[in-house]
Amino acid sequence: MRIDCPYCGERDAQEFVYRGDASLMRPESEDGMADYVYLRDNLAGPMTEHWYHAQGCRTWIAVTRDTTTHAMLGAIFARDGVR
Amino acid sequence: MKGYCRYFGREATAQPLGFMTHFSILSLARNALSRHSGWQPTWRDAVPKDGYDVIIIGGGGHGLATAYYLAAVHGITNVAVLEKGWIGGGNAGRNTTIIRSNYLLPGNAPFYEWSMKLWEGLEQELNYNAMVSQRGVLNLVHSDAQRDAAARRGNGMRLHGVDAELLDVDGVRKLAPFLDFDQARFPIMGGLHQPRGGTARHDAVVWGFARGASDRGVDIVQNCEVRGFLRDATGTVVGVETSRGLIRAGKVGMAVAGNSSRIAALADLRLPIESHVLQAFVSEGLKPVIPGVITFGAGHFYISQSDKGGLVFGGDIDGYNSYAQRGNLPVVEDVCEGGMAVMPMIGRVRLLRSWGGIMDMSMDGSPIIDRTPIDGLYLNAGWCYGGFKATPASGRCFAHLLATDRAHETAAAYRLDRFRTGHLIDEKGQGAQPNLH
Amino acid sequence: MADLLVEQLSGFGLATIMARKGVSGMAIGMALGVEAPAQPAFCRGENNLALIGTGAGSWFAHTDMVSPAWHTALRDRLAELASVSDQSDGYMLIRLSGEDARTVLQRGAAIDFHPEVFAPGAAATTVIAHIGVVIWRRDDDARGRPKYEIATFRSYFDSFRRWLDHTAAAL
Ligand SMILES: Cc1cc2nc3c(=O)[nH]c(=O)nc-3n(C[C@H](O)[C@H](O)[C@H](O)COP(=O)(O)OP(=O)(O)OC[C@H]3O[C@@H](n4cnc5c(N)ncnc54)[C@H](O)[C@@H]3O)c2cc1C
Ligand SMILES: [Zn+2]
Repeated sequence: MRIDCPYCGERDAQEFVYRGDASLMRPESEDGMADYVYLRDNLAGPMTEHWYHAQGCRTWIAVTRDTTTHAMLGAIFARDGVR
Repeated sequence: MKGYCRYFGREATAQPLGFMTHFSILSLARNALSRHSGWQPTWRDAVPKDGYDVIIIGGGGHGLATAYYLAAVHGITNVAVLEKGWIGGGNAGRNTTIIRSNYLLPGNAPFYEWSMKLWEGLEQELNYNAMVSQRGVLNLVHSDAQRDAAARRGNGMRLHGVDAELLDVDGVRKLAPFLDFDQARFPIMGGLHQPRGGTARHDAVVWGFARGASDRGVDIVQNCEVRGFLRDATGTVVGVETSRGLIRAGKVGMAVAGNSSRIAALADLRLPIESHVLQAFVSEGLKPVIPGVITFGAGHFYISQSDKGGLVFGGDIDGYNSYAQRGNLPVVEDVCEGGMAVMPMIGRVRLLRSWGGIMDMSMDGSPIIDRTPIDGLYLNAGWCYGGFKATPASGRCFAHLLATDRAHETAAAYRLDRFRTGHLIDEKGQGAQPNLH
Repeated sequence: MADLLVEQLSGFGLATIMARKGVSGMAIGMALGVEAPAQPAFCRGENNLALIGTGAGSWFAHTDMVSPAWHTALRDRLAELASVSDQSDGYMLIRLSGEDARTVLQRGAAIDFHPEVFAPGAAATTVIAHIGVVIWRRDDDARGRPKYEIATFRSYFDSFRRWLDHTAAAL
C-alpha cells in the first residue's frame, strides 16, 4: 500500500501512523461524547481517514482509500479540511 | 439441491436427518475395509425454510457453536445458520488456532477459562476429533518490568483458578532451548507459562459443531448472504432478507466477526468496532521443533507447529481499517523480524503461504455478547484476534442469551452499553484505539 | 571495484525552521536570501546557506561551514517569521558519492532515486533500515558522478552506519 502524500509524493504506508475515520467531529458538549469516542461507521468501501506522515514530512493528511481493495483514491493535507 | 461438504471433498446431496456418521473404532474399521468409499457427509447442507425460531447470521465457529448449544443445551432446534460463503471460510478457517485463558481482568478471566474447560471436553461432547492439543502457551519476558507484569497476570490467573507458572530463564530453557536467550537487545529473562493452553484444529472445530448442530435438526445454509432485516411496525426484527429470499425468524443473532458493522448498518446500528486485517503465515513442513505455543514479549510474534509440521505464526494486525482479507508487506517484515529476534534458527525456513482475515476490533479489545437496542436482534462480536479460543464459550453464552434473553453469568460483562457507562474491559489499557489492542 | 566514497561530515551547521502560522515560504526565503522550496528540495543560496524542504512550512537550514553565531543569526533574521532550532549536534551527516552511491541508497530507501526523479537539488525525508533520514542530492562532482548527503539523528548514527557498511560491502 503506497500513499500519495501531498508533500512528499508516493510513499510506503509503513512511513505513516494510522488514526482512522477522518469524518468524526468532536461534539460541542458532553452529549454525544461517548458516541464520538466509541462508535464508528467502519465503512466497507471508500473512506476518508487520517494518516500522519511520521517518517516523512510529519504532517497529518486525509487519505481516501477503499477499505475493500486498499486502492488509494486521493490525499490532501488534513488542515485543508475533509468535510 | 447440491452442496459441497469440505471434509470429504466431494459433492453431496442434501439428505434426511440422522444419516451422519459418527466416528468410532468400529466405523473406522468398517470403512477401511471398503477403502473409505462409504463415508457420508458429516452435516446436511440445507435449503432455507420460510422461517425459524432463531436465525444465526454467520457460519463461522461462533455461529455454529451457538446453533449447536441452542439445540443441545436449550432444546431449540428450529434454527438456521446462514452463511454467505461456505462455513469456516472466514476467520474460523484463517486463524493461528491458539487457545489459552491467560487473561487478567475479572470480566475476561472466568469467560476464557470456562472456554478452556469446554475445549477440554469438546471432543467427547461432539464425538469429533478437534485435535485439541494442550501443549502449553509460553509468553516470554525480556525485562524486569515485563516480569513484574507477568507475575501480576499469573497471580490474577491463579486467583481465578487458572493454571499459570512464572518461569525463570532455566525454566524457559528446559522448554525451549533453541531460543536466543542472550539476544543483545531483548534478552530472555523468563516467561509466563500456561500448560493447559495450546492449539486446536480450526477446521475440525467448525465441522464438529456443524455436525453436532445439523444432527440435532439445525439447518446450515451456505451461499446465503444476509442483505437486510425484516422489521415489523414497532421496529422489531422479525426476519432477514437474503440472497436466497426472505426468511422469517423469532430472533436473529449476528455472529459475523469482521463484518459486524456492515450487518449492523443494515439495521441502522453503529457499533464500537473497527474492522482490521490480521495476517498469518505457515512454513514448509518440518520435523518437530517447537514444543508448544511461544510468544515473543518484546515485539508481536507468536508461533506454534502444526501436526503436519508447518510453523504457524503471526504478529500484529496491519493497523488500518480493512475488509480486504489480505495485508501488506511491512507487517510480513515485522513479523519475520520478531521471529528472527527470538528464534534465529527459523531464518532458513521457507514460507509456504500467508493470508489475512478481517478482525472485528472492539474499542476496548474485549468482545460483546448482548442484546441490541433493536428488539429481536442480538449481537456477538468484537472478538479482535482472539476469538478462536472463545468459540465454545461464546457459542454457549450466545445460545443462553438467545434462549433466555438474559446474559450468561460468565459473559455478563460483555455488554454493548459498557462503552457508554464506562465499564470497559481493556486488558492492554490502550483506550479507544482499536489498532493498538 | 565499487565506486563509492563515504565521508562522515563535520563542521556543518544544521537547524530546523518552522514557519509561524500564516507565514509563507516566500517570506522566509526573502529573509534569508535563498529560495525556501515549497517541495522537498535542496536550494543553495548566497553565504553558503541552503534550505532543504522537509515538510509543508518546515525546512532544514544547512551550511557546510558553521560559525559560532550561525544559528543565532538565523534566528534573528527569522524573528516573528519562524521558530529556529539548532540541530548541528543533533544530526550526523554522511556524504555518499560515486557511481554506486545511488545503488546503495536504492537498497535502503523505498523511494525512486532514478536521476530523472531524483536529480541534483532533490531532497526526501524517509526511512532507511527503520531509521529516519533526510537525503538530498547536491551537484554532481567534477567527473559527473552523483553526490548525496544524508542526515540521521545522532543517536541512531551507529545503527545507520552498520546498515551502510553492510550494504556497501555487498556492492
Ligand atoms: C490470521 C488470524 C489469526 C488468528 N489467530 C487466532 C488465535 O491464534 N487464537 C484465537 O483465539 N483467535 C485467533 N483469531 C481470531 C479468530 O479467528 C476470530 O476471532 C473468530 O474466528 C471469529 O469468530 P467466527 O469463527 O465466528 O468468525 P468467522 O469464521 O469469520 O465467521 C463469520 C462468518 O460470517 C459470515 N458472514 C459475513 N457476512 C455475512 C452475511 N451478510 N450473511 C451471511 N454470512 C455472513 C462470513 O462469511 C463468515 O463465515 C485469528 C484470526 C485471524 C484472521
Ligand atoms: Zn509526507
